[in-house]
Amino acid sequence: MPNLSRRGALKVTAGLAVLGTLGLTGCGREDATTAAKASARPVDASPAAGTVDVWAAQGDADVLEKVIKPFKAANPDLTVKVTLIPNADYYTKLQSAIAAGKGPDVAQFFPESQAQFLDPSILRAVPDGLVDPDGFFESLWAAGVVDDVAYTVPWYAYTYALVYRSDLAKKAGVEAPATWDEMVPFFKALQGAGAKHGLGADNGWDIFNGQDVAMYAWQAGGSLLTGGKWTLDTPAMVDALKYNASFFTSGAADTATPTFLDAQPYFVSGKTATMITGPWVVGQLDTAAKKDGWTEAHVATAPLPAGSAGGVSFSAGGTWGVLAGAGNADASWKLVRYMAQPSTQVAQFKAYSSLPAVIPAWDDPTIKNQPLLAAFLTQLKKTKAFPQVSTWQQVATRIGKEMEAVAKGTATAEKAAANIQSYADSLGTGTK
Amino acid sequence: MTTTLVPGPPRGAPRSRGARRTAVAWLFLAPFAVVFLLYTAIPTVAALGFSLTDLRGTDLRHPLAVDFTGLTNFVRLFQDTTFLRDILNTALFVAVGVPLTMAIGFVLALVLNSGIRRLRGTFRTVFFAPVVTNVVAVALIWQYAFQADGTVNQALGAVGLAGPNWLDDPNLAMPVVILLGVWRNFGTAMVLFLAGLQAVPEDVYEAASLDGAGRWRQLRHITVPLLLPTTLMVSVLLTVFYLQVFDEPYLLTNGGPLGSTESVALYTYHQFGAGEFGMSSAASFVMLLMVALVSLVQFRMLRPRS
Repeated sequence: MPNLSRRGALKVTAGLAVLGTLGLTGCGREDATTAAKASARPVDASPAAGTVDVWAAQGDADVLEKVIKPFKAANPDLTVKVTLIPNADYYTKLQSAIAAGKGPDVAQFFPESQAQFLDPSILRAVPDGLVDPDGFFESLWAAGVVDDVAYTVPWYAYTYALVYRSDLAKKAGVEAPATWDEMVPFFKALQGAGAKHGLGADNGWDIFNGQDVAMYAWQAGGSLLTGGKWTLDTPAMVDALKYNASFFTSGAADTATPTFLDAQPYFVSGKTATMITGPWVVGQLDTAAKKDGWTEAHVATAPLPAGSAGGVSFSAGGTWGVLAGAGNADASWKLVRYMAQPSTQVAQFKAYSSLPAVIPAWDDPTIKNQPLLAAFLTQLKKTKAFPQVSTWQQVATRIGKEMEAVAKGTATAEKAAANIQSYADSLGTGTK
Repeated sequence: MTTTLVPGPPRGAPRSRGARRTAVAWLFLAPFAVVFLLYTAIPTVAALGFSLTDLRGTDLRHPLAVDFTGLTNFVRLFQDTTFLRDILNTALFVAVGVPLTMAIGFVLALVLNSGIRRLRGTFRTVFFAPVVTNVVAVALIWQYAFQADGTVNQALGAVGLAGPNWLDDPNLAMPVVILLGVWRNFGTAMVLFLAGLQAVPEDVYEAASLDGAGRWRQLRHITVPLLLPTTLMVSVLLTVFYLQVFDEPYLLTNGGPLGSTESVALYTYHQFGAGEFGMSSAASFVMLLMVALVSLVQFRMLRPRS
């Protein structure tokens, strides 16, 4: 048996405290695997009964009680307890609860960062025939699949596209850029039409804009993970870092502002004229402008400009998973199945503007008749999932830090890419 | 049936009374001991254990996958240019923050102790307010004040000066963060110095005056030497604070820009957040050693010579 003496040393060194902590967290992997297999049985159409505990992050799930009302009415013997947890603490609380064996039956996840949970000791495999995998945006479904086993069912979707000031573009006489080369000239044109900066780039320099650069690397034909090894110092990554830096070095974007929360006020006031952002912004700009109809008169959207390998973006949103330790797996899956129905996802859109992860729901007139969402639908069909490995979040955060150095001119793109690669290599992919 | 009398300890014997007193002492100590064990001793031992393993956040579910790695984490730490930079940043916090905080605190204590006695209470409250104000609220206000179009730059603009991007410039962010630290702490130094000053007997000054010593000589030869124990205490307190500085850089810049304000404590936090529990624990132990070492040196250098 490998490492037995090392484990012995660990016990001696770390003492009872360590082992106590670890012991608490070691909720039976073997049992969980068995349970996952058992739950892969098809789920029938009979009414759900009993109690289901649901945990979700605040935000899109705020309206959950309202959206599942018809489901509760159709399943009178079922009690659904929804617990909303602040977004920033969500994964921490969920991870501790799972480690302590006190997790809920059903939990919400985020496809862009859920890889660490895709394990039979944590989540049950999605039962055969529960939903139609082909009905979802491909990359969102793929984000929940490891070794051909699906662990999550997509709920809502978003991706990034260009949101820009159509009034300034009209004044400057320019169309939305279609390629990388057209980006900076487009921003400059909007600056010429009165904007202080052509692009309002978020400069949190963390995991989120690290994800942006990863997306640019795909657009340049790169792959983040190839054959189980990180490939982050490729020419594509160097191009991505240079492309991102060009927004700043050209003066089209400012490294100092705006921060995430400032982005919309800056855009509305004309301090910035473009955002590379998600669809929720479209529904919030009237509020930022304090004027109904402002968005319609001032804003347009477009898919992301293409690099040498096209205009691919990343898929993100929300998904549902049933925990390995769920006491009421049958009712849990029935609830998840309900959440995945097009009509439920349309109801969720009406209640919170969450865009459906299931493609047929986009044919609903409520969504179809919104011209500003069309670019996001086009983009959602051209998305990729981030690597489904547990260290991805750390790697993305490091990309964010290194892209700052390139954007501020204190490191070359080549050096930054090499740093990212060596950091990612030192972390591995989280499997031992 | 015969009964054998075995001589026992006499009633009220000193040993028995001592045992009872010890028991009472433990009883009073128990609440502290429990809290100390739960929140300090056990986590410290656990952290020492973690620092010698490759424990990551994802391992919490698979404890048997955790390996004992000895001092590997410590070696990795000192090979990590980020960590070495953070040690230098922390040293800068100490080197600039401690003397500046002490100087301001000392001068204010002198002023409060002499000229404006009637308003002493008011001024003491005013200068002490930053110590008791919520640091999150303060940091948010500082962030708004020092952002590109914040209050500070607006004020500079009013006199025709173009202000820089304080918190986004690696050379300027550190001074702003240190300034916040100084602003939060000089009140503590002031109150401690004030207490020290008030303990100096008036007749010593009177005697010195009679001998013809001026204010400056009195300060140099009476006040400063007699305040040495206070100075030692203040300097150790502040050094320990600045060695562990976290709130100010975390709230103002989160260690940025380009890591220019990341302290060792913030590094520890970032490693923990990234799930690198082993590395994070190792970094926290390096910080503990730094605090212990610097405090020891200070005590040796500044202890009064009899």
